[in-house]
Amino acid sequence: MSTPLNELTISDAARKLRAGDVSSREITDACLKEIHSKNVTLNAFLDVYEEEARLAADRSDERRAEGDSFGSLDGIPIALKDNILYQEKRCTAGSKMLANYTATTHATVTRKLLEAGAVILGKTNMDEFAMGSSTEHSAFGPTKNPRDLERVPGGSSGGSAAAVAARMCPAALGSDTGGSIRQPASFCGAVGLKPTYGRVSRSGLMAMASSLDQIGPITTTVEDAETLLEVIQGYDSDDETTADVENFSSVKRESLSGVRIGLPKQAWGEGMDSGVRERVEQAIRVLEEAGAKVKEVDLPYADAALAAYYLIMPCEVSANMARFDGIRYGIRTGGLPLFETYAHARASGLGPEVRRRILLGTYALSRGYYEAYYLQAKKVQTLIRRAYQDAFEQVDLLVTPTAPTTAFKIGEKTSDPLTMYLEDIFTVGVNVAGVPAVSVPCGDFEGLPVGLQLVGKWFREAELLSAARIYEERRV
Amino acid sequence: MVYPTSVFLYRVLLQIGVLSYYFHNMSLSRKEVETLAELARLQLSEQELVNAEKDLDSILGYVDRLKKIDVSGVLPHGIAPIEIGWRPDAVFECDDVTRELILTNFPSRRGDLLETPAVFEEPKK
Repeated sequence: MSTPLNELTISDAARKLRAGDVSSREITDACLKEIHSKNVTLNAFLDVYEEEARLAADRSDERRAEGDSFGSLDGIPIALKDNILYQEKRCTAGSKMLANYTATTHATVTRKLLEAGAVILGKTNMDEFAMGSSTEHSAFGPTKNPRDLERVPGGSSGGSAAAVAARMCPAALGSDTGGSIRQPASFCGAVGLKPTYGRVSRSGLMAMASSLDQIGPITTTVEDAETLLEVIQGYDSDDETTADVENFSSVKRESLSGVRIGLPKQAWGEGMDSGVRERVEQAIRVLEEAGAKVKEVDLPYADAALAAYYLIMPCEVSANMARFDGIRYGIRTGGLPLFETYAHARASGLGPEVRRRILLGTYALSRGYYEAYYLQAKKVQTLIRRAYQDAFEQVDLLVTPTAPTTAFKIGEKTSDPLTMYLEDIFTVGVNVAGVPAVSVPCGDFEGLPVGLQLVGKWFREAELLSAARIYEERRV
Repeated sequence: MVYPTSVFLYRVLLQIGVLSYYFHNMSLSRKEVETLAELARLQLSEQELVNAEKDLDSILGYVDRLKKIDVSGVLPHGIAPIEIGWRPDAVFECDDVTRELILTNFPSRRGDLLETPAVFEEPKK
């Protein structure tokens, strides 16, 4: 039996489109149908652009008929996390504050997708302003994990991961500040890539922590993540932190012979579910069988990374959230004096997790604490980057689990913010160091997906993803 | 030297007070949380202030481990000197669609102007 059209990977869909076996309209319709039947339960999409998606699909089919198709993404349906701007469309970032905000422009990644002929299906749910690890902190209700409706899909890009895992679309973009692409991909059983900081433009991405945020793809295969990265990457004068480096292009390799893989010894201690450990150890054996040399490496400051992250990030959050004051956009209660206008708009428009991080950041940046907290964390960040540099002298890739647990139950971790933060233990170091990392499904434990995290050197996504692809091909 | 019981107890309590201050110096007072909320322009209810105090304490307790790391001679990562990264303001044309979208997002407007509350007000106490 042939694969249902909504379940095609990007590469299969592109092949079928080229061969004329199927139209973009048919694939788009199949995805929309799946969204219709599943979204009521999953709440993965906040907005669906049914009509425009069909029109875009038709235009893509016309282009193809006339022989001027744009390439491998032309006619492929894709979803955007709702903190990525799509001009004239609502963009909420999962916040009540922006429930009625209309994007004034396209994000650079949106423009690049549209120029590549992609069909934008809609916007996916997320933790408010990307702050959270479960998508429970959305003002529009939690997203459910497609594998088990009582469990979270992870976060903050939980809507994107759930949408891809439930085959409502072949791919979605997410954003990753401390694990927000990789951890939900791990929880839902999808592939999630956080590119090197500076690889993809953040212009038009609603900022959470600007020095750590990075946009990346969530897909069903590593190859599809490569295809998307090829399209969305690149220097952008609208984002001065994008790097002027050689573009990524995918490399296909036959084996991992000559590839040195390091297991950071600090990552393999306490606090990891036994099922997660087991699956990831199996995956490491697959990597070895594929020819990789695996050894333990020292990655000092691994636990300091989480602490540094939970200082640097809220500091930047408190600055970035200052714009949400009810003046130029957002909600405003009329008739109040200036101070109360700000304070009321912010208190009623921003949810508890956002407020918590604003307070924490305000504290850590305030006089008398700046040196002890923010500056100290930024110095530790230097040490963490050095630790990655040193590790990468000895090995080409690092491997850890993506998350210490499988998907947890909805409501299980909301009462204690610190337990939720500990979910990010394996992912945040990557953001603090700025390196690329990908989460690839490595089997299930008690019916729930486990993710294998591979971490690469700065701007060496080709090396990273080619190894991930070998794993994907050889895993049982 | 023999203290009256009350003085002895007082000194013990004082010691505990000093010690708990020493060991929990990261603990935020209610007043500090109120000041933070004011600085951050967040109007918080009584219950929210109580929760914030508790949550911030537990998070600060965790991040405190950073203070033990020796960073002597280490430069902070990525804090650029102020003159780097700034570019002069430049006026550029905005197309009508974008312009109209910006205007429609105003929470309150008069014609094409953004309506705001008065900037000058009674100083906060």
